Amino acid sequence: MIEFRNVSCQFTHAAGGEIKALNDVSISIPDGQFLCLLGRSGHGKSTFVRALAGLQSLSTGEILVGGAKVKGPGFDRGMVFQEDSVFPWLSVRENVEFGLKARGIPKGRRYKIAMQWLSAVGLAGFADSWPRQLSGGMRKRVAIATVFANDAPVLLMDEPFGPLDYVTRRDLQDLLIRLWQKTKKTIIFVTHDIEEALLMADRVLMVRTGRIAEDIFMEDLPRPRDEDVRASPAAVEVTKMIQKHLALNPDWHSNEPTALVS
Amino acid sequence: MRSLSAAVRRNWISILTVIFGLALWEVISWTIPPSQLSSSSKVPSLEYVFTEALLGMADYWKFDLWAPVPEKGGAQTALGAVLAIIYHSAMTLFRLTVGLIVGAVLGTVIGLLLSASETLRSIAGAPLHFLRMTPLLAMIPAFQFWFGATDLSAIIFVAYGTSIPFILGAINAVANVPKRYMESARTLGASRGSVYRMVVLPAILPEMFSTVIVALGLAWSAVIGAEYIGVQSGLGRIVIWSDYFSNTGRMIIITFLITAYAGVSFALINIVRQRALGWMKP
Repeated sequence: MIEFRNVSCQFTHAAGGEIKALNDVSISIPDGQFLCLLGRSGHGKSTFVRALAGLQSLSTGEILVGGAKVKGPGFDRGMVFQEDSVFPWLSVRENVEFGLKARGIPKGRRYKIAMQWLSAVGLAGFADSWPRQLSGGMRKRVAIATVFANDAPVLLMDEPFGPLDYVTRRDLQDLLIRLWQKTKKTIIFVTHDIEEALLMADRVLMVRTGRIAEDIFMEDLPRPRDEDVRASPAAVEVTKMIQKHLALNPDWHSNEPTALVS
Repeated sequence: MRSLSAAVRRNWISILTVIFGLALWEVISWTIPPSQLSSSSKVPSLEYVFTEALLGMADYWKFDLWAPVPEKGGAQTALGAVLAIIYHSAMTLFRLTVGLIVGAVLGTVIGLLLSASETLRSIAGAPLHFLRMTPLLAMIPAFQFWFGATDLSAIIFVAYGTSIPFILGAINAVANVPKRYMESARTLGASRGSVYRMVVLPAILPEMFSTVIVALGLAWSAVIGAEYIGVQSGLGRIVIWSDYFSNTGRMIIITFLITAYAGVSFALINIVRQRALGWMKP
């Protein structure tokens, strides 16, 4: 269980003003849930996951993971970044072993776990390649294998598939769903793509001006979320609700974004 | 053989330039009137350089071993010349290598410490800036005054001179490591210390190799400069001894030798670099 208790994150704007990237957010996320954070750029989605990762200090409030207060980054909350964060100086397999090595897991076991996850993401044949020899999509697979190999109960993904082309994105979305269904980890996935949220999420949090604007539960939507499911009345209703918050809200611009931080 | 002829075909312009330069040197050497004061011409002919001047290197063999010692009335021998070149080269290379290694390790460690702590950076900032601006060669007399005209003094001087680019290089390189690598490592369970070992060190390696190249050039200047003024051996010392007798031929030989050693040392570093940075684009 993850709990946000009255969490605020305040930044000082370059021009001097104060910005509340998160504004008194309280929410709880049960174990094993696939949660999507949706919202426009600069409304606090990234701050939400970075705060949970321990990479962003809080102005007020607290975050609890499994009952323990978050005080900084830890391996129990793995993170896949939007940018390419695969270490270029390590081979693909050494990348997947990174967290295990940092935590002192012996070589033999590390190797076995890494190879197992590399096959799971379809890269067993590239274990000894350098990251530069892989495509962008393949490097994302490496990043996914790395966090799953590290066996964190909570995985945070900050628009991980953002820079990829449509087909590669779909492949990776399917892969992630498969791995999640197999491992039942808690996944918090930031996106600004409605379709991506419909494909994957149990629950969608609409983030707006640093607050949770809408909490949408969609565990009842059957999986796999193929086109028929996404065209079903329940899904269409969810889509409309998301759209209302995302873009074409008439009073949107009177309610200017609080944050420049995406 | 085929690769040699291919290399000649590829670089024929450079080869022609070198041949032209040597020819020009010869022409000048035959046209300049000989000096009454010096033992060799201001621009010595290549023939002189590679016969008399080369043999004259035997003058700098100072040990009563294997070859006669001209200083004590012995003859100049080819073996003596070879032994002298080997001995003085070895002394210079020893000072250079040890000084450079000490400077590299010390400079990198200081640079890493400074980049880890803002307080340390603000303490060290002004003195570091001052040291960087100080002309290196102007410091030689001071070093000789402090540490004497000894091997140790030359080594300390080279270490000092090379440590400064390593300090600055390490600080810059660390600042250029993308933050996401460190954040990623932290969320994978690496402690702050492990992040330095597992992320920062490998990530700064490419930039540090550029620093090594800069420092190597500096180390050559520093070691030869230190030998000009103080210690009683080494290639720089030979240049000064040659200067006493205006022996330009011997100076030219030392210049050739230093150029050759510098070329070899740069090539060696390049090989190490390519081995160490196999993960980068070739």
